[in-house]
Amino acid sequence: MAGRILEAGLHLLDRQLIDKDGRLAGKVDDLELEFPSGGGPPTVTAILAGPGALSRRIGGRFGAWLEAVANRLRDGDDQHPARVSFAVVKGIDSAIDLSVPKRELETNRLEAWTRDHLIGKLPGAGDAPD
Amino acid sequence: MKRLFSVALGILTAIGGFVDIGDIVANSETGARFGMSLAWVVVVGVIGICLFAEMAGRVATVSGRAVFDLVRERLGARVALVNLVASFFITFLTLAAEIGGVALAIELATSVNYLLWVPIVAFCVWLVIWRVKFEVMENAFGLLGLTLVVAAVALWRLGPDWGGLLHGATHPVVPQGEGHPTWWFFAIALLGAAMTPYEVFFFSSGAVEEGWSRADLITNRLNVYIGFPLGGLLSLVLMAGATLFLEPRGIQPGHLSQVALPTVLVLGKLGLAVLLIGFFAATFGAALETGLSCGYSIAQYFGFQWGKFVRPAQAPRFHLVVLVSVLAGAGLILTTLDPITVTEYSIVLSAAALPLTYFPILVVANDPDYMGDKVNSRFTNALGSLYLLVLVVVAVATIPLMVLTKAGS
Amino acid sequence: MRLTELLGAEVVDQTGGSAGRVHDVRLVQDGPLIGGFGASLRLDGLIVGRRAVGARLGYERRKMKGPLPVRLLFGWLHHDGRYVEWERIERIEPDRILITGSVTDLPQPGPST
Repeated sequence: MAGRILEAGLHLLDRQLIDKDGRLAGKVDDLELEFPSGGGPPTVTAILAGPGALSRRIGGRFGAWLEAVANRLRDGDDQHPARVSFAVVKGIDSAIDLSVPKRELETNRLEAWTRDHLIGKLPGAGDAPD
Repeated sequence: MKRLFSVALGILTAIGGFVDIGDIVANSETGARFGMSLAWVVVVGVIGICLFAEMAGRVATVSGRAVFDLVRERLGARVALVNLVASFFITFLTLAAEIGGVALAIELATSVNYLLWVPIVAFCVWLVIWRVKFEVMENAFGLLGLTLVVAAVALWRLGPDWGGLLHGATHPVVPQGEGHPTWWFFAIALLGAAMTPYEVFFFSSGAVEEGWSRADLITNRLNVYIGFPLGGLLSLVLMAGATLFLEPRGIQPGHLSQVALPTVLVLGKLGLAVLLIGFFAATFGAALETGLSCGYSIAQYFGFQWGKFVRPAQAPRFHLVVLVSVLAGAGLILTTLDPITVTEYSIVLSAAALPLTYFPILVVANDPDYMGDKVNSRFTNALGSLYLLVLVVVAVATIPLMVLTKAGS
Repeated sequence: MRLTELLGAEVVDQTGGSAGRVHDVRLVQDGPLIGGFGASLRLDGLIVGRRAVGARLGYERRKMKGPLPVRLLFGWLHHDGRYVEWERIERIEPDRILITGSVTDLPQPGPST
């Protein structure tokens, strides 16, 4: 039986990622494809998100600048963009549903940093909306 | 009964929340210079905003997705980025204008220079966005904005030549001594003021904030189709006031006090006080909306968590964008740039950017995968396509006209 | 390999003839299993055309009906779309994809879901 047919640009790229708890976790900025060891066509193995991935989509001088900024923000030697393995994708419809919570994703780094160092320090940041 | 109350509340909030500094400035300046000959533009603008706000609200309600999220999805990352930069810049400019507007309203009440009020206003705008619940915020400022009705009361009490006003409105003729290009330029500004892009971002994001479901679709329609036209009527009241008091005296309103003139002359100090509450509410409410919209557009493009419906700590980058935008907006006004001038630029540039915002909404509202059975009717599509064509023409004509008429001077 | 390495690349044949640029990529869910997702998405082929504008609006899908003028406009803009199956790809270079055979005998993509 033929498997589901999708188009990457139409159904996957630029779609919202939604985590296990319904929280927004970024957008699909790019896809990682890997060639299987036995040869043949590549398969999608991961979603790439964040400024490191978006920079290639935008291209040009602005994209290059964005990539440089992203690399500076990632301390250490790993210069690859944030990666969400396709194994945690639960479903694809108008958004991409993930089976894990946001905090377990590599894409959460900037969000966590902003919370810990800036917004989280303001009084009332942790208060639930009444 | 409770349902009726919430519908009434929604409509009243829509009326009171319709007018912002852009409408105040555009309608007064137009009335002072061209009488009622451009009243038809307000009608066109109100129909347009009703059409697209309803569409954006319906899309957000049924699909759960707000405008900029969908703009990126449909136009791709690169084109949507251009869209984002333009829309964000204009929304930011409008935010600065609204902050300036609030400060001017307070200056009128207290006679203390508006610049001194700017930091306080900015802080209060941010604080309300940070702490006050979305619905409370919307309802409070919407209802308070209804006090602008005092301008209509003043007009009524004056007992003006209604026939004359109506004649001017139904006979769009360029007055003696004015050029056609300038007339069209003011028409574009009026359209930009009535159909500002941020209203659509805000409306659709608000639908998600308030958790609208399919059951609310009818309420949404009522709010829009009854509330917005009545709000538009308030704009026309300001235009009429300027036509009757400023045009004969050849006064070009460059100051908020001149906009208040008709009300002061007819209803005195009490009328002025009520009107100032109205100005304050309209501009402060719009400052909240544009501040949030700055956050909505950026967060929705990049996919970060946005909204007041989660704890601030759960949407840190969204709140950071809002905070920085409010600070920068206040900063812009503190450079002593005339807030009225900032307003004029924001409405004109809004007109130029309208197709960017409305086109993706029109497309997604037709997508059965998102909308199910709630796709646009053929009538809505026909009207929407017509508007889009008009908006493209307006967008193309804006900058040349602005240069040609030296921004309407 | 990243998807962006394929998108926008020019598709040419041995003689140098061009079929346009890659607008999109068709995936079929029948690859090896990957975690909780199930069968992974296998690259089936490339959707190629000359004008990229509006490729994502959705008018290639059968279900998108209106508004009429917009649908007609984008239908016309994309009528020259072609499909390149994976097997016909000879070599992938930066910004260029070489295919076997000629660009003139590529099939139409057929409507998307």
